[in-house]
Amino acid sequence: LHGAPGVSFEGIARAAYDEGRVRLATQLLNYEPRPGKQVPLLLGMKEDTIALDKAIESGDTDLVYHVLLHLRKKLPLAAFFRVLNTRPLATALVESSAWHQDKDLLKDLYYQDDRRLEGSNLLLSEALESTDLALALDKLKLASKYLQDTKDLAFHRTQLEDAAKLLRLQETFEKELKMESGAFVGQSVNQTIFSLTRLGHAKRAQKVIAEFKVPERTATWLKLRALVSARHWN
Amino acid sequence: MAPKVPFNASEISEKARRDLLLLLEGVRGKKNLVLEKALAGSLNLLVKFSTLQEYGVDKPFFLENDNVDSSQRNVVFLVRGEKSKTVLEVADQIKRLRRNGSVEHEFTIIWVPRRTMVSDQLLEEAGVLGEASVSEWPLFFVPLADDVLSLELDEAVTDLYLRKDPTSVYLSAKALMLQQQKYGLFPRIIGKGDNSKRLADLLIRMRTEVTAGESSASDGASFLGLTPSSTIDSLIIIDREVDFPTVLLTQLTYEGLIDEVFNITANQTEVDSSVVGGAAPQPGQTASASASMKRKVLIDPKDALYSTLGDSNFSVVGALLNTAARRLQSSTERNQLAAKTTAELRDFVTKLPGYQAEQASLKLHTNLAEEIIKHTRSDIFTRCLEVQQNIMSGADPTTQHDSITELISRDVPLPTILRLLCLESTTNAGMRPKDLETFKRAIIQAYGPQHLLTLSSLEKMSLLSSRAGLVLGTSQAAKPGTVTNYSPLRRNLKLWDDDVNEAKPNDISYVFSGYAPLSVRLVQSIIQKQTLANAIKPPTHPSAAAQANPLAQGLRIFDDVTKYIRGATFDETQTGEEKAVKARSMLNGSHNDAAKTVVVFFLGGVTRAEISALRFVGGRLREVGGEGRGSRVVICSTGIVKGAGLVGSAIETETFG
Repeated sequence: LHGAPGVSFEGIARAAYDEGRVRLATQLLNYEPRPGKQVPLLLGMKEDTIALDKAIESGDTDLVYHVLLHLRKKLPLAAFFRVLNTRPLATALVESSAWHQDKDLLKDLYYQDDRRLEGSNLLLSEALESTDLALALDKLKLASKYLQDTKDLAFHRTQLEDAAKLLRLQETFEKELKMESGAFVGQSVNQTIFSLTRLGHAKRAQKVIAEFKVPERTATWLKLRALVSARHWN
Repeated sequence: MAPKVPFNASEISEKARRDLLLLLEGVRGKKNLVLEKALAGSLNLLVKFSTLQEYGVDKPFFLENDNVDSSQRNVVFLVRGEKSKTVLEVADQIKRLRRNGSVEHEFTIIWVPRRTMVSDQLLEEAGVLGEASVSEWPLFFVPLADDVLSLELDEAVTDLYLRKDPTSVYLSAKALMLQQQKYGLFPRIIGKGDNSKRLADLLIRMRTEVTAGESSASDGASFLGLTPSSTIDSLIIIDREVDFPTVLLTQLTYEGLIDEVFNITANQTEVDSSVVGGAAPQPGQTASASASMKRKVLIDPKDALYSTLGDSNFSVVGALLNTAARRLQSSTERNQLAAKTTAELRDFVTKLPGYQAEQASLKLHTNLAEEIIKHTRSDIFTRCLEVQQNIMSGADPTTQHDSITELISRDVPLPTILRLLCLESTTNAGMRPKDLETFKRAIIQAYGPQHLLTLSSLEKMSLLSSRAGLVLGTSQAAKPGTVTNYSPLRRNLKLWDDDVNEAKPNDISYVFSGYAPLSVRLVQSIIQKQTLANAIKPPTHPSAAAQANPLAQGLRIFDDVTKYIRGATFDETQTGEEKAVKARSMLNGSHNDAAKTVVVFFLGGVTRAEISALRFVGGRLREVGGEGRGSRVVICSTGIVKGAGLVGSAIETETFG
């Protein structure tokens, strides 16, 4: 039959399946070139992983998503992740849709795969989303704890700790200088130094410079720019 | 039957327009249109709003604003159906209207370019699938100019390189397949890059799918649809990943700079109304009624003045504008003087609208150019350009680090800095680990801790990486095809040209004042072999015929250099039944090679400077009648990109607090 054009293997496979010959049906489906016809039938026959592989092969992300949605509902989480494990494309698609809709799923996924950097980044992005400073600090702490045992991510971890340090410092400045909240929080190190200098708090600015080891050249540039702009405003 | 021109821009526009209007006609009576923002540009290029009104559209709304009202019974959604996020937004709005409205609404959803299974599934779960009539608008290519077709997938870069989501590859394949069904198979598919390979595989795969579909439908399958085309020479696919530096550099053509400074979307740019000032409203200008002082200006590739300006290096634009002004002045003056008889006067008056349009266009572009000059004269612009040029000409990148550090301290916008750093990383197969860490710290301190995420994303896109080995070429040589190595390429493809001529360009390097985009060089190595060979290795005897250059044999240059370039290389031939091939060439008349079309597809976006460079190549080929592979170059892409957009897709926008 293989050489003859105009034969719908989907039709034959469906007939075979209706006769209860599942194996034959799956084998027949291998000859069906249109994945749009192949995949739904495979799902109907409960050949889930074959359906997923065929969908990936087709390059049509809609089909892949379709199978994934189906599997996500059907399988327990651990089994779902096991299916993803060997299929990078499926994992990528799950990740990209879950980033907007289901961060908890992602957290589990990263934990299971031991993808520390991604897991930590996820927590960092949650910290950024939270409007409450205390909550943000908690998330940051978690994010850096996540990287605890990995040596090659030490730089990343220090940066996370610095971020927390900066936020606490900014909170103190706001209290001390009796400014409305949000005057400093959220600024970068450089912007904080710049604002402090412009408002005439040179000592506090110096403290930030020392605390974060801001290079001398950068500090000089910042001071220069801040002073110029302060004069401009007077 | 007249020979059909493949990839005909006006034909594609016309079909897309007709399809949409037919769909709108299907919804009886007046209707409100809910539009995804990303589609607004494409729609604007294809259909005038007044036409939409004629077809019963009352008010347009943006999906993102979530503010469609109940003023009309019919609500039509026009959205892309590939992302579950948009599908859910549509579902939410239908539910909201149903809850609040006093009117029994009729919902229509038009998915672009296709109805997906996932959208059906999600709508069904939301319980709204039953009350919406669903259709699809197969909009793929949107012609931006006669030789530029874009899929206008704004998120293609993020999807492909950051999220590793190949949806845009699939849509590209579909789009190309539709063209193949009309004009015949690409006789040859050549390309470079892993995603390109995937696209080529899909095209070959889809061919069998189409045959299967045709034969089981059994309505006298047209064999012609699937035989090699006699009007197309080949399809060349370039993966953006192969050549990131070209995108990262500041474009130096006029059109490129307009895009860099003002941003062009769907042939329109927004400029401050003070810039275009008192310019009388011209046909191309749709003055936006919004409160902002911005004004939308059409960058029209059909405008006679602009078509010469757009692709020129910016340094000569002043002179070009000057000549145009002089010509215009003399033609109107002399005509006025000479207009003595009534016949001459009548002749002059009929030409008058043309002169007026030209004058308006001249005024607009003089103002734009002035604004750009302000930008290019700034200290920061020149400093950035200096760093870029030094890196591209092969100077030791560490000599540029002081400049970059200073720019960071001066709080230059983050995208500008990231472009410079990524440029160094991508041209030198990564940065020294120590330097990379220093810069990362500097960026986080200067722009905020949220950019830890930005930096992670850049690394994931392999725009920024740490160099494993210390010396280039030793440890890297072990794994060919993992990174693009510019050191040998600079020489083998002559990527850098010291004595570039910007006024009368003789090479594509004019678009970046010295650097010849690698992507376009690759295309040249396939379709313009003689010229390229002579540019790389000038013949010793000027009298020696161009054919003599041994470098120009077969695909030799292409084969030689591809081993230094990241990703898979492929060269597929598509053949068909002998009889059908003959029938096709009979139908279309015989074509000489020179008249054939070469389709260049950029997967992951193309820059305006590359378009200019390819037009330059095409122009040269037309002059000499092709170098064996056709001379009409059509540029297709998933969208237009530029450096700010490329690094921008990685930039985290949330801040603390």
